[in-house]
Amino acid sequence: MNEFVETLLDLHWHEPKSSYDVVIVGGGGHGLATAYYLATRHGITNVAVVEANYIGSGNSGRNTTIIRANYGIPESIRFYQHSMDLYKTLEDDTGCWIMHNTKGLIWLAHTESAMRSERARCQLNTAMGTETIMVDPAEIKQLCPQIDLTGSGRYPVLGASHHVGASTARHDRVVWAYAQGAMRLGVHVLQNTPVTGLLMDGDRVTGVKTATGNISAGVVMSAVGGDVTQFAAHAGVRLPIRTHPLQAFVTNGYAQGFGPIISDTELLSYVSQTARGQMLIGAEYDRQQSFSRQSSFDFLQSCATKVSYLLPFLKNLRIMRQWTGRCDVSSDFSPVMGFTPAPGFVITTGWGTWGFKAIPAGGEAMAELIATDTTPEIIEPFSLNRFATDHSMADQGSTGTR
Amino acid sequence: MTDISDGQPQVEVRSSATPAGRIVIDNQPIEFFAGDTVAIAAIRAGQHPATGGTLCLAGDCGNCCAIVDSTPWVRTCQTKAKPGLAVLRQPAVGAPALNLTPPKSAVSSPIAAVIDVRHINADVIVVGGGASGTAAATQASADGHTVTILDANEGNEVVGIYAGPTVIVRTPEGMRHFHAHEVIVATGAADLQPACEGNLSKGIYTAGAAATLAETHIELDNALTVTSQPVRIVADDNGWVSGVVTADADGNDVLSDCNSLIVDLGHMGRDLLSRMTDERAVTIVGPAAEHYPLPPCPTSGIVCSCSKVTVEDLDGVWLRGFNELELVKRAALFGTGTCQGGVCMPYLRSFVADRAGSVPEPFTARPISRQLTIGEASAGAYADNFRMSPLHDEHLKLGAQMDRFGGWWRPWNYGDVLGEYWAVREAVSLGDVSTLGKMVVSGPDVVEVLERLYPNNVHDIKVGRSRYVLLLNERGHLLDDGMICRESETRFVLTFTSGGASFAEMWVRDWVETWGLDCHILDRTTSLAAINVTGPLAGELLRRVGVAEPPKFLQHRHETVAGVPCHIMRLSFTGEASFELHHPVHRSVELWQTLMAEGRALGIKPHGLQALFGMRLEKGHVIVGMDTELDSSPRRIGMEWAVKMGKPYFVGLEALKRVEPLPDHRRLFGFTMASPAPVEGAPIYHDGTIVGHVSSSFDSPLLGKAVMLGWIKREPFPDTVTIDGRTATVSAPPFYDAEGRRARA
Repeated sequence: MNEFVETLLDLHWHEPKSSYDVVIVGGGGHGLATAYYLATRHGITNVAVVEANYIGSGNSGRNTTIIRANYGIPESIRFYQHSMDLYKTLEDDTGCWIMHNTKGLIWLAHTESAMRSERARCQLNTAMGTETIMVDPAEIKQLCPQIDLTGSGRYPVLGASHHVGASTARHDRVVWAYAQGAMRLGVHVLQNTPVTGLLMDGDRVTGVKTATGNISAGVVMSAVGGDVTQFAAHAGVRLPIRTHPLQAFVTNGYAQGFGPIISDTELLSYVSQTARGQMLIGAEYDRQQSFSRQSSFDFLQSCATKVSYLLPFLKNLRIMRQWTGRCDVSSDFSPVMGFTPAPGFVITTGWGTWGFKAIPAGGEAMAELIATDTTPEIIEPFSLNRFATDHSMADQGSTGTR
Repeated sequence: MTDISDGQPQVEVRSSATPAGRIVIDNQPIEFFAGDTVAIAAIRAGQHPATGGTLCLAGDCGNCCAIVDSTPWVRTCQTKAKPGLAVLRQPAVGAPALNLTPPKSAVSSPIAAVIDVRHINADVIVVGGGASGTAAATQASADGHTVTILDANEGNEVVGIYAGPTVIVRTPEGMRHFHAHEVIVATGAADLQPACEGNLSKGIYTAGAAATLAETHIELDNALTVTSQPVRIVADDNGWVSGVVTADADGNDVLSDCNSLIVDLGHMGRDLLSRMTDERAVTIVGPAAEHYPLPPCPTSGIVCSCSKVTVEDLDGVWLRGFNELELVKRAALFGTGTCQGGVCMPYLRSFVADRAGSVPEPFTARPISRQLTIGEASAGAYADNFRMSPLHDEHLKLGAQMDRFGGWWRPWNYGDVLGEYWAVREAVSLGDVSTLGKMVVSGPDVVEVLERLYPNNVHDIKVGRSRYVLLLNERGHLLDDGMICRESETRFVLTFTSGGASFAEMWVRDWVETWGLDCHILDRTTSLAAINVTGPLAGELLRRVGVAEPPKFLQHRHETVAGVPCHIMRLSFTGEASFELHHPVHRSVELWQTLMAEGRALGIKPHGLQALFGMRLEKGHVIVGMDTELDSSPRRIGMEWAVKMGKPYFVGLEALKRVEPLPDHRRLFGFTMASPAPVEGAPIYHDGTIVGHVSSSFDSPLLGKAVMLGWIKREPFPDTVTIDGRTATVSAPPFYDAEGRRARA
């Protein structure tokens, strides 16, 4: 066997019931984490997580697994730092090996204006308790000996912000760890159960329609990714969300030899080595909006080019697989969590390119919101009504997108 | 019942042929013959090209992968041997080292310049030159199509079929991107591999591999063919097959000695490539489209040789609730290696079918089908050049440190930021502002267009005068800023920021089209250069180069300066008297050199962006994108004066009206404090809480203190705050020459 075969987790499946206190639509990280925290923190276990396919089949199984908190606005830094803290203890909390590995994230700057942005990032991160420090080219070379500091003559490295606590974890295992924890306490996880609509009583959401029957619920939470605008429309809820494909690729596996996560504020690409030794490479989302998961060669070509400027050794590595996920991007590039105008219908969305890192904190906060019927302070800035009240949380510069 | 027959040894007939050269495997030279692949040359020399495992010699499995010419994970059965080729075996356990040495050709060279890339328009592409491919090609040809056959055996490895359909092909000559009308996938069938204990031994060949060896006249030593799944394969101490255990009619194990084992277990459709695409113009023919029966459920041994997954592993995850094919795959990492499920998929499906009672679909196939390097993928990518002002070389001659800003190379400083600052404040200085967006708009409806585009009034700008304006988007958020200069009743010149110019051009054009108004647009951003002559002696310098009466503040006019036709705009960003000289790019060097020469006696120095940013901050001028955010409205940056809410319409008016009654909770303020200036981005505290951040800061040499712009995002807005542990005072800009006397002087 290979050393990465899963040998610890145990998933207990249940027969579906026709009614639950809480029905969570979407069996990805956010949905399952919410169920886990409902069960573990609030003793609410009469919960179903309804998944159209298999658990983790959406963006939870398609992301590049980077966990970071080096955002540009205090509300986001605090939220993502809390998520990082929860990730650090997740293996102890769940008893699962999620391959959590703190490696540090280096955001390279090639211009004075990019240096200025990174210095600002360090200032605000440090003030909010997140360790992000400026590093000079010599320090960058020490952290990543493979880097070409001239950027192949085109993108000279002036410096970088080094987000020391950034980490990665194996995406599937995070999903399974939360699933196992929730299922052990009696949460039902229903796979291959596409939700086709919502049960409504006036403007109140009272359950979900599925291909195999209706399920009534005290509260319905949408943890849907990709099709969220269509799904929320069932409840008459309009979301300021657009969906873009996001692509990535991996090489074959190599012995461990690439320590940090290298990212680039101008080229908008990032490179890390997975626990299995593959080089995992991604870039910003496709400019064109689409619900498609088809991969493109244009992406492969442009992304391969970008990372080759800075890490020429990559040119000699073979690409094994590319894939595509879907990003729900809000108009201010921050997530949307909390109540909606439809009673009984709460939502966690707008996860763009930054959803994986938010799974623990997002799940914890949404569980508290459902359990207490009150918005937790940490996610209050991310409420849907911020768009109506002109309180948008603009932070595009921290999302790795353009 | 197991059918065991003797292998049919081939007679070596090539004994008289001469070898074509030598390759080196693990530092040991071996001979090869013309046409040999690396794998075949190794087998010919009595070796396994890797460390073990059944060989298919068809590019399906990953069992022959090695490090070829310092690239790991190369299928040696798809790699032609050539003299001197260096091959290293990868470790049997673990992975090859991550190459720390870039390939020689790669260091600081244009990206992948050595790889030839061609884009080819094609009619019909047939992937696969076997029986089904040839038949399909013949038919298509008979139907009047021009057909291109791509066969991996000839070195044309199809990487993937993408939207278009575009077929990406890796060939010995380089990368080929075929843009086809139609693609026919005729990839045929692959051999099933053995799934039993001992299947990672050396000396095991699929029936297809054995046929390939026979064609190349390689005689296998003491070969035995099995046609059903062996119970186990037995190997000697060196890992070479020494026998195979099969079950007889009564179910008893029977050991048969052999030195080579040929497994003939049937086939599976070679469908990875076709399953990766959902393009409509792709058809699948022949064995690739067939549904072959699944093999019996495996009972022992490695079933996924790339990831070394055993039947026990599958059972382990299955019993712990990973109860569907995709979950089993992910929990065991089955089929996630080189072959991407290409040869192991039937066993996974057969396993799940056995345990679950129904046959699952194969897991999702994702590109790519045949591997290519990151260098090969990037080959042919086009990278736009960064833009350069016509004065670029002049800046370099003056020792400028250049920086890219807003898509252009610009002087960051000329090595003496303080000297540049004082030249502007006390004498005269030149700044290269060629990068500003410049647009001429004219026509009968031009005033109406500009009134709709800009939130400020436009109709009352007099001919020969100019006005500072904001540009808003439909949400009422700041897009850009610039100047409007009126040249006649129906003609204006607009300027935009360097970074915002190209977007602004699109923006203006689109709105003019949307409104259907009669207005002509001429973008002169790159046809005009511009030099800002600034400082208390700027007017004097202009007089010395022939401008008898320089324009007054916010005036503009066309006049010849030092023999160069210029549009002179009097304004001020630095805070001193400033004259922007817009002129044809081909006259720019001459004008710059004349101004520098004539200004020498006045103490002229050019200034870079670094000094400029400080000087504009002393005046409190906002830089869009540095001090503003994605959602900055005029109110938030304290520029309500530049918005006339009483106008009937302008872009963004509806949005501003919607938020007007809402409480304002964030605003850009000016601050001053004792030097040193805090780092830009420093948090702003009030009562121990972060309430915002500094967006720009500067140690003013003239004022002897730090001046700043910064955001406060919490009400009520305080009068004093703490920055960098020190007290700072909220102070309305400008911090310097508040009355604007110097700009007007």
